[in-house]
Amino acid sequence: MDIRNIVTGDSCEMLVSGRIDGAGANQLEVEILSAIGSGSKSIYVNLDGATFLCSAGLRVLLQYWRQMKNSQRVLLATRPSPEVDAVLATSGFREVLVEKV
Amino acid sequence: MQIVLKNQPREKQKVVQGLEQFGRDHRLPAAVVQAADLALEEHLTNLMNYSLADNREHQIKVRFALASHFIIEVEDDGPPFNPLEVPAVDTTMPLDRRPIGGLGIHLMRRFMDEIEYHSEGGKNVLRMQKRLPA
Repeated sequence: MDIRNIVTGDSCEMLVSGRIDGAGANQLEVEILSAIGSGSKSIYVNLDGATFLCSAGLRVLLQYWRQMKNSQRVLLATRPSPEVDAVLATSGFREVLVEKV
Repeated sequence: MQIVLKNQPREKQKVVQGLEQFGRDHRLPAAVVQAADLALEEHLTNLMNYSLADNREHQIKVRFALASHFIIEVEDDGPPFNPLEVPAVDTTMPLDRRPIGGLGIHLMRRFMDEIEYHSEGGKNVLRMQKRLPA
């Protein structure tokens, strides 16, 4: 899995490509923590290039979506690939997490 | 096809590669392979992180077969663990109040058509089936 960050002011878009499996979820969490530590107030996890999402990835999205929301910041998943969108929808995540940016 | 792996997360890659190869060899639809990939990731992660996480080396066997369905069997030598006994999660609950965790089994149930568990000779066997398009 690869993650490329585009930082604009205090907003960070993470372009994720490949598999968000257990190891990928750990990598995503490290990147999110780094962005939070760098002062990002908005984090957009762009899932257009993600080909796979498992429950470990969902856990990371939920945990930091909630943490950011509780501190008046935002983390959203955007532009899910069809494979990833199916997992988000089945898990009840799609409506709440996904917005286009 | 049978793949044998140890209870180390990096070993899951063998299963991913074996599944891709089996899918190519038998021209399985991409959606069937993706569903199996997800169910296997979830079950193997549960085994490695919980029931087989005792600092001992364990062997996990993953078997693929085709009949009217695509059949996947996962056999492990850990303590009895029936994932079907894990309570279902409520995916309609607002995310603000949702427990973190428990979605792995939910995804397995939703993406596979049938899942059965039995214990055989001291081994756990999970058999999952995915219907093939007519």
